[in-house]
Amino acid sequence: MDALKLIRDFVSSHSDIDPESVVPDAVLADIGIDSLMLLEVMFEYEEKTGVKLPDDLPTPTTVRELMDQLEKLAPDAAQ
Amino acid sequence: MSAPPRRVAITGLGVVSPWGSDVPDFFGRLMAGQSAVYHYQTDEAHLSMSMPAVHCPGFDAQTEVGRAASAMDRSAQMSFAACRQAWTQAGRPIPESPDRRAAMYWGTALAGTLTYEQGYREMLIKGRERVPPLSLILGMNNAAASHLAIHFRLGGPCLTYTIACASAAAAIGEAWQSIRDGRSDVALTGGADSPMSLAVVRAWEALRVLAPVGKRGAEAACRPFSADRAGLVLAEGAAALVLEEWEHARARGATILAELAGYGASCDASHLVKPSPDGQLAAMQQALELAGLSADDIDYVNAHGTATREGDPIEIDAIRRLYGPRAAELPVSATKSMHGHLMGATGATEALICVEAMRQGAIPPTAHLETVDPACEGVLHVREPGHRRPVRACMSNSFAFGGTNSVLVFRSASD
Repeated sequence: MDALKLIRDFVSSHSDIDPESVVPDAVLADIGIDSLMLLEVMFEYEEKTGVKLPDDLPTPTTVRELMDQLEKLAPDAAQ
Repeated sequence: MSAPPRRVAITGLGVVSPWGSDVPDFFGRLMAGQSAVYHYQTDEAHLSMSMPAVHCPGFDAQTEVGRAASAMDRSAQMSFAACRQAWTQAGRPIPESPDRRAAMYWGTALAGTLTYEQGYREMLIKGRERVPPLSLILGMNNAAASHLAIHFRLGGPCLTYTIACASAAAAIGEAWQSIRDGRSDVALTGGADSPMSLAVVRAWEALRVLAPVGKRGAEAACRPFSADRAGLVLAEGAAALVLEEWEHARARGATILAELAGYGASCDASHLVKPSPDGQLAAMQQALELAGLSADDIDYVNAHGTATREGDPIEIDAIRRLYGPRAAELPVSATKSMHGHLMGATGATEALICVEAMRQGAIPPTAHLETVDPACEGVLHVREPGHRRPVRACMSNSFAFGGTNSVLVFRSASD
């Protein structure tokens, strides 16, 4: 699964954040992805993959951390 | 010796209606007697809705609000659009940091009810176990006010009033009080509602107070004060006003549209749905008193006039008691006959009608009023479109289920 694309697609359709600013090293708060938007991204991920993210997932601070969390838990992660 | 109360200027107006967002155009259509009511129908099997209503199918949240719309319920989106218009007309810049002298006072009866209904639909009809993560933020009653305070950097009081049909009038009145008392210098105020939720509509139907399409058609379904009136018509929309302390507005060269001169508040304290003329009279008297006006000064009353069998004669009784013998010559109209009952937005919509009435020297009619109910006689019912006469001061009544009465008194800016 392409987590970066999912995040970019989400911010471009739900906010004024420039999708080009969504790069792995970016700090989420710096590019405008706040705690509420993070919840929305996670919900979008769960809707698209059918995977239920665990409640005790550490809060990511960078795009890369978020990508890692999503990709590790994706249905195709073991392939 | 205490300082005299501060005066409150109205410097901006905004509206979201089925006819668009232009206040003079909105007023012009009402002056022409044009009805926005139509036969609203949804086709969801046994969950269908079919009734006269006022709906804004042309409202495009993406255009009016932008991408931020996805974090707002429809009611908040409409609130945002109306407030942006009002703020733009007022010509106030948005400050860099929150202005502690700028306040937000908003009214809504139903707020995010569409969001909550969507959540129920997802769970109970579609069998899903959860709802989107912003559901609570979208649905909370103060969502619109909070979005607007953030956008316009309103760092003073940010308060939401949920008082059924008096919500917006109470919000406007409390904003007036805030400026008058020196707590704020400017306030963004008004109200919004989008009541076409199935649960809300069914609840109104169960009360048996919604007007049917009837023989005269959906357009003429709402007939306040008429002998053949058959109930109210639900409507969605929003209306906003910018209020400013008078000298503050003058000092910055703002165009003052009118003065919000007085506000009266009372509760019938007698019955949940049967209004009391005593309570209504008390609110009207207080509004006049605080405005420093007498009943003789009022040139027009925009009545609450919802077209229910019970409510209309009681309001007319209260008006007759306040205005005495002069009531017979006092122009009164119920514009809900054309724009419907906007619930938590109704007081704001009717406030801007009052402002335009004074500015244009014109009184919109109670449409579809052919034969006045004898129980509603004793005032000068304005029935014909195009009624023109000077309006130097006017009164707007909003009375809520639960017994809350909110009355606003306006004075012409040039008076």
